[in-house]
Amino acid sequence: MSIRKNVSKLKLPHNKHTAEMHSTVALPPKEVWLPMSMHSGKDAVPVVEVGDYVRVGQLIAREEGNISSPVHATVSGTVSAIEPIKSMGKEVLAIKIVSDGKMEKDPNLKAPEVNDVDQFLQAVRDSGIVGLGGAAFPTWAKLAACKKSKIHTFLINGAECEPYLTSDTRTMVEDGEYIAKGIEYLRKYVGSEKFVIGIEKNKQEAIKLLEERFQNDNTVKVEELDSIYPQGAKQVLLYNVTGMVQKPGTRLADLGVLIINVTSLAKLAKYMEDGMPLVDRCVTVDGSAVKEPNNFVVPIGTPISYLFELAGGFKEEPGKVIIGGPMMGHAVEDLNEPVVKATGGVLAFNVKEAKVYEPTACIHCGRCVDNCPLSLNPTEYARAMEMSDDQEKLALLKKEQVTLCMQCGCCSYVCPAHRPLVQTNVEAIAFVKKNRAPR
Amino acid sequence: MSKLTVSAAPHIHDGASSKNIMLDVVIALLPVSVAAVVIFGMKALAIILTCIISSVLSEYLFNSITKQKQTIGDFSAVVTGLLLALNLSTNVALWQCVVGSVFAIVVVKCFFGGLGKNFANPAITARVFMLLAFSSVAGGANPVIGAELTSSATPLELIKNGQELPSMMNMLLGVHGGAIGETCIIALVVGYIYLVVRKVIKWYVPFSFIATVFVLSFVSKFDLSYALYEILSGGLFIGAIFMATDYVTTPITNKGKVVFAIGCGLITFAVRVFFSYPEGVSFSILCMNLLTPYIEELTHKHPLGGVENVK
Repeated sequence: MSIRKNVSKLKLPHNKHTAEMHSTVALPPKEVWLPMSMHSGKDAVPVVEVGDYVRVGQLIAREEGNISSPVHATVSGTVSAIEPIKSMGKEVLAIKIVSDGKMEKDPNLKAPEVNDVDQFLQAVRDSGIVGLGGAAFPTWAKLAACKKSKIHTFLINGAECEPYLTSDTRTMVEDGEYIAKGIEYLRKYVGSEKFVIGIEKNKQEAIKLLEERFQNDNTVKVEELDSIYPQGAKQVLLYNVTGMVQKPGTRLADLGVLIINVTSLAKLAKYMEDGMPLVDRCVTVDGSAVKEPNNFVVPIGTPISYLFELAGGFKEEPGKVIIGGPMMGHAVEDLNEPVVKATGGVLAFNVKEAKVYEPTACIHCGRCVDNCPLSLNPTEYARAMEMSDDQEKLALLKKEQVTLCMQCGCCSYVCPAHRPLVQTNVEAIAFVKKNRAPR
Repeated sequence: MSKLTVSAAPHIHDGASSKNIMLDVVIALLPVSVAAVVIFGMKALAIILTCIISSVLSEYLFNSITKQKQTIGDFSAVVTGLLLALNLSTNVALWQCVVGSVFAIVVVKCFFGGLGKNFANPAITARVFMLLAFSSVAGGANPVIGAELTSSATPLELIKNGQELPSMMNMLLGVHGGAIGETCIIALVVGYIYLVVRKVIKWYVPFSFIATVFVLSFVSKFDLSYALYEILSGGLFIGAIFMATDYVTTPITNKGKVVFAIGCGLITFAVRVFFSYPEGVSFSILCMNLLTPYIEELTHKHPLGGVENVK
């Protein structure tokens, strides 16, 4: 199946300084903030009140509707506030828990009883697991597609193409056992026959360990992928591994394929064993301003300031702090924002690296067009957004299919005029969606 | 802690800037500029300096008068001035250089909205304008070195008249009549390699242009030596390497760039063979500049995961 046409071609400096650093379980923080929107879809709804005592793993917010995910207490202690905070660029309701330092587990937790696909899906739903690579799509909602379509192949996404981040790498190195168990669950309940673990070449240790683990299982293939950004993006991974393309208006499952992040899969297998929902995760702490970059396992909801403390503080004044990777991550105003389910890393850059350049005129060099993994046309979107006639603007944006853009950041990264192309694309997509004719 | 910078992703950049790209082009033009002065003497230096200074000055004044943001820091006016100079022969008067530079910057570039907005290459358009306005621009002038040369005619004129041509070595070194920057093939190729290595241009764009002229010339007479002289003569190398690769006025897609280059080759050959005028490179690039929007439309990339033929 090695087609490797490589639709993407952008080589980024990897900066995977923490790739060999074992994920260290850190002492829990004094307090956690758990936003209700740590997944895509509808916000979760709190089921606890201020003053309630909660234990680790206890349900504190239930999912709402068909694309949503529950939230669980990640420390033991008292709910001290339920109020809006800033998280990932949005104002969103969050539950604050002040830790009693005991990390007492909810005594009611037990391994879920799973005998058929419905029970399996319900268990995944209750686990609170979402796409941990960044997309944060509720995993149960994704797996539910197997009820309608036959899923013959599962792509297990271990590309981790964002520079700096190594939390998925650590999962693959440390939790191979759970990846294997997770695959067995998918085989048994989703009914897939074939599994491809896609890993970028720059993670040789992970590749070697997983190849050894699956050497006697010819249904599981470890696929070595070129270290080319954005190798881990859904459409890119799908194409580079299988040669298939997801067409607009169709689902990935229509091709008989699903993609799951490697850490989500390992977490899922762990949940099946002990019933402990998603309450913690490995987070890479790195960047030029960080004293001792490392990987820490912390409760979800941990304020990022605490992660930097764990990493020995700052060796330089930070100019920019990012939750997520440097290509698609989100720059924060202050260090109070919490780690959410899909946070693979927090980065602090020094003042020099934080410099923002003034955009200059587009020189039509074509680097954005050349480097777009989906062969889109960022210059046309920019031209459209300058048009005064809304009809003309809409027509051009639709013709150039701006809604396919996944904001991977390649165009802005290579633009010699420092034009904010991704931002323009985001605005253009919002414009098209706003003007979409009601169905 | 002072205020953190909050800006949109991505938070890293490959470090390229428009200014550095322009500087790379200037660096790539240095070998041929030096060669121009060595071959054609101090007059060549005077032409180069006059064109650069008047280009930069006219952009500066235009921005000042129209109260726009000053843009001379991007070095694109230097590139335009230098390219124009290298496409002129020493027969030109310095005041004519000033007129040409002002035309390139003000009329061809600034009137259309400045860098990135002009549809035609400023240096090429100005050269064509000067060919029409002042006939002295065209044709060759005697190199100051290479005393054995008696004719100041360019090799293309010699070919047209059926006269004896300079030796192949002199063709490569550039010791023959012509525009000051078009003759020294070796220096131009050094610049070409530099631009390709620095990823400023795609190697196949100049290659397709030159190869098209070579193949057509060879097929027309089945004479290898004739085909070689055809590609080494006139402004083909400087045009293919430095002007047919201009970002602003050529197609944005890689396929489009090749179509553009092949189109230039076809027109160059046609002008050289069928027109009374011996040289066709400038005309071909200018013509293809006008076709650029259509080539872009035809070579439009199909998005991965997109629908085809969207209206």
